[in-house]
Amino acid sequence: MYLLYSLRLAIQSVWREKWINLLSVLTIAAGLFMITLTFFSVYNMDLATKKLPAKFSMMLYLNEGLSEQDTGNIIAILKKNNAVERVRFISKDKALQELKGVLKNADYVLEGINENPLPASIEVKLKQESVSLPSVKKLAADIKKINGIEEVEYGEQFLNSIHSIKAGAQTLSLLLVVVMSTGIIFVCYSTVKIMFYRRKEEIETFKLLGATRGFIRAPFVIEGGLLGAGGGLVSLLGAIAFYYILFYKLAITMPILKIIVFPSEIFVALPFVGLMLGISGAIIALGRIRFS
Amino acid sequence: MIHFSNVSKVYDHQTALRNITFSVEKGEMAFITGPSGAGKSTLLRIIYLSEKPDEGSVTIADWELSKLKESSIPFLRRNIGVVFQDFRLLDNRNVFDNVAMTLRIRGIMEDEVKERVMDILKTVNLRHKADSFPKTLSGGEQQRVVIARAIVGEPTILLADEPTGNLDSDTAAGITRMFKDINAKGTTVLVATHNRELFRNTGRKVIRLDNGNMVGEEIG
Repeated sequence: MYLLYSLRLAIQSVWREKWINLLSVLTIAAGLFMITLTFFSVYNMDLATKKLPAKFSMMLYLNEGLSEQDTGNIIAILKKNNAVERVRFISKDKALQELKGVLKNADYVLEGINENPLPASIEVKLKQESVSLPSVKKLAADIKKINGIEEVEYGEQFLNSIHSIKAGAQTLSLLLVVVMSTGIIFVCYSTVKIMFYRRKEEIETFKLLGATRGFIRAPFVIEGGLLGAGGGLVSLLGAIAFYYILFYKLAITMPILKIIVFPSEIFVALPFVGLMLGISGAIIALGRIRFS
Repeated sequence: MIHFSNVSKVYDHQTALRNITFSVEKGEMAFITGPSGAGKSTLLRIIYLSEKPDEGSVTIADWELSKLKESSIPFLRRNIGVVFQDFRLLDNRNVFDNVAMTLRIRGIMEDEVKERVMDILKTVNLRHKADSFPKTLSGGEQQRVVIARAIVGEPTILLADEPTGNLDSDTAAGITRMFKDINAKGTTVLVATHNRELFRNTGRKVIRLDNGNMVGEEIG
């Protein structure tokens, strides 16, 4: 029953101190909007790196003069490997033909070469889930042990770079989210603390009349929640405006922006995240209430 | 109902109460008297658990205060109505809300709150002032609001700290009559006052304090 009364007290308090509360709501909204942008960036970066493995392949260069049977054996061994999606044999002639295709008008570089210098090779496409740096490294080492394989090439540097960029972005965004969340909690903490001190006399009277800790805390916790949820709603409006400008205004002049995805889950999560952070700030601000 | 046994209280090396021992039985009405600084308010504050004694033991009903868990304090306080010397009325709430606070704290439904508050305001003859704010009331009216707030929860004990302090003699007599009526309904009443007129020829117990010492117990 007293929750309804606490809600009334909280709403009255929010209204009575509307300017300080408005400032808090806007600060919380700015923090949540920053979190939204961070999540949006990391989400798109993650999507982009997930698409990369489809284009990833491993090249195995074979020893000179390998018989057709040896080559067949190597292909059979590779096909048995669970990480391998498909295998394509490229003969010496085919390799030269492909090189000529790539060089096109610059094929004069091949003039004067009488013997085909290119080795026969096997292109190995890996299953999407197997294209991670450690698994590719292990697979390359295993393949290298197969008789008849001269060299294994898999763009180690490229994979390393992708891995580093992804890990770096994730760490940075996690740090930013932690800092912003702490900031939001601190804003709610400070606001509720101010409200608590302003109503100290009233709270002392409540205690003397027999109010429990729950009764004293409830309006402040609700107030913290309202501030957080309010900040969440304002940042939600900001996110909708950002989405609209990005996809309906900027994308007309910059079509590349159409490949960017805006996760709609953010819209639902923002007020809820704000509510939780607000409640956390309020609970920390109230601390332990003593009766004597 | 209220038992003090060798209770002492010291503030910053200054003794407020020294070895106080007395009892007030259930349904009794008693007075604590003495000059300013005698320790009357400290004694009442110990009863409603706003202060802890440094020595001795205090028992309220069946509750031994030194053994009481902090989380139980609100529930004991709900059995004690207090008429504070400084009123402690909330200036930003009207008379109705000030009195209703006692019941809302207990989670009583709003319909019942309304009924009980209006009944008690009728008892203290302030029903017509339900929507007024404390600052707009006279001293006597404010005192009656505080009494209404103290008794609306039907406490077993009523404590009053200088309830007639700044009131004229007619209003003071009216307040005293009100305490007698409350006591007649079975509530234990303990009044701290320096006004001898309040207990003269009442036939009630009077505990005399002076400079923190109990200097006598008599029938007024």
